[in-house]
Parts: sequence; structure tokens; C-alpha cells
Amino acid sequence: MFEIGGKTLKSRLFVGTGKLPDYSLVEKMYYEAGVEVFAVAVRRIGPNTKHTKNVLEYIPKNAIIMVNTSGAQDHKEAVKIAMIGRELTNSNWVKVEIEKDTKYLFPDSIETLKACEILVKEGFNVFPYIYPDLNLAKELEQIGVEAVMPLGSPIGTNKGIGCEVLLKPIINEIKIPVIIDAGIGRPSHAAKAMEMGADAVLINTAIATSSDPVKMALAFSKAVEAGRLAFEVGLLKEYEYAQASSPLEDFITG
Amino acid sequence: MIRVNDEEMEFYGNVLELLLSLNLNPQVCAVLVNGEIVKKEMWENFLLKDGDYVEIVSFVGGG
Repeated sequence: MFEIGGKTLKSRLFVGTGKLPDYSLVEKMYYEAGVEVFAVAVRRIGPNTKHTKNVLEYIPKNAIIMVNTSGAQDHKEAVKIAMIGRELTNSNWVKVEIEKDTKYLFPDSIETLKACEILVKEGFNVFPYIYPDLNLAKELEQIGVEAVMPLGSPIGTNKGIGCEVLLKPIINEIKIPVIIDAGIGRPSHAAKAMEMGADAVLINTAIATSSDPVKMALAFSKAVEAGRLAFEVGLLKEYEYAQASSPLEDFITG
Repeated sequence: MIRVNDEEMEFYGNVLELLLSLNLNPQVCAVLVNGEIVKKEMWENFLLKDGDYVEIVSFVGGG
């Protein structure tokens, strides 16, 4: 169990619903993999759009909806999307994601900070998607965001924890929860994030584009739990030379 | 003539009637008129006028 954004959660695996072949899988992930938090995006629907189905209709009533501001290029657009999200869902949870290009999808730190300042004042539970930048994370903690979500690697790259040396100081120094978001491609990456002391992970591509998203969500769920348990116990130190597990005396000589 | 998601159309009526005429489920839509959110409880009273720019948004899968 852990407390975040005014909720008590059992699962430390948050899942993004982008790229899913079928929205009905959301409900299966909730029941079969125990996922409680689902990220969604706001887009136009109706005339001249690709979208006809609304993912909200597929999210179980007790699950938590995290509205992602992706698509916003500055803080004003992000705030507007957050407001629309709250109007439609009554959910206060907003993931602030602001990017200016679609090649790297790196978060814009300055616009993100501005958006967070406004949204915290508006009473949202704010979850900014950021670079693993300790100074920025501290600034965000100061203004009252709920958690910080530093990237493991660029979005959708499946490369895993690409910047451990930058993430570790954030985990060590920041008191609010740290959720590793983006780039996690395998359950072992997620387990590593949790062993490092992350409070949760957010996975989208690695689950949604797998051949069996529900089974993969379950695999991630187990990895996240395993990593967390190991962190709570404390990882052991590494040695240069062998440290015998069996006693090195009283051998049978025949 | 109004503009809905960049498509021009002849329409006379309020916001709710627009959604219904486009076969959209009003429960799951949010509406912006000229960049401002129009709250659900206002839809029936909000008459669209010539030149209005309407954006209809909803939720899709996202990370």
C-alpha cells in the first residue's frame, strides 16, 4: 500500500493507454494485473478526426484516471487540457507533459514548471514528466506537485534506465514520490527502477504494443513488486572476489 | 456558418444539439467555443452564432 495524490494504492505500476489495440484491455489490466492508475490523453473527436471511441468508457469506475497534457506545446495549452480533463472526469490527477518536437519528445522544463505552478494553485494533483534534473525536481517539490516523473529514456524507446546516475540523486533527495516514466521496455528495467528506490513506474509502449498487453502488464506488475520488496529489504553490496556460500573448512577428504 | 474542428458547416442551435447532430455521446465530450471551455450545464443555453469556432474533445488512449 502506498499513499499518493490523496489515494491509497496497492499497485505501483501505472499504465498509459496509448497505442492499445483495443480499449477493452484496460479493464482486463485492472482486474488481472491489478493496475489502478491509467493515463489518458485529450484529443478532438468528431468531424475531421481519427478518433471516434472514448477511452473513458472502458476505464473501471474505481480506477484512477491520470489526464496527460501531451500535445501541449506550452504551459497555456497544458493548463487548458488539464481543465478540460477535470471537467470530463472529475479526476484531479494531471500528468504535465509539454514537448515542442515529436522527434525526441523531450519535456520542456521551463514551460512544465510554469504549468505546474498554475495547476497546483488550481487545486490539481500534479505529476510533471521531467528530465532527471535534481534542481528542477526540487523546484517542483517546493511549489507543491504530488510527485515527479523523470524519464528513464526517451518515450517509446524501450531502452530502460538510461541515466541511473541522474535518477539516483532525485530518488535520494526528493521527499515526494518519484515515478520513473518513459523508456522502460522490459519488466527487468522496471524491477531495477524499483530496486533503486523509485516509488512507482509508468509504462505505456512496452505493454500496449506487446503481443499480449494484459500478460505483459502482469509481468510488469510482478517485476515492480519484486523490485520494491528488494528495495525495502535493502540490496547487498557487491564484492570484487568470490564470497563462499558454503563453509570453507571441514571438507571431506575421503 | 460555424467551424467545427476545422470543418465549416451550416448549423443553427445550441451546443448540445450540435453534439447530437454529429452522433457524439455528450456524456464523454468537452466543448470549447472560440478557445473557451463551455461547461456542460451551459450547453442547452449556449446558442452557437455565425463565425463561432467549436472544438469538440474527448479522451483517447495516451501515456
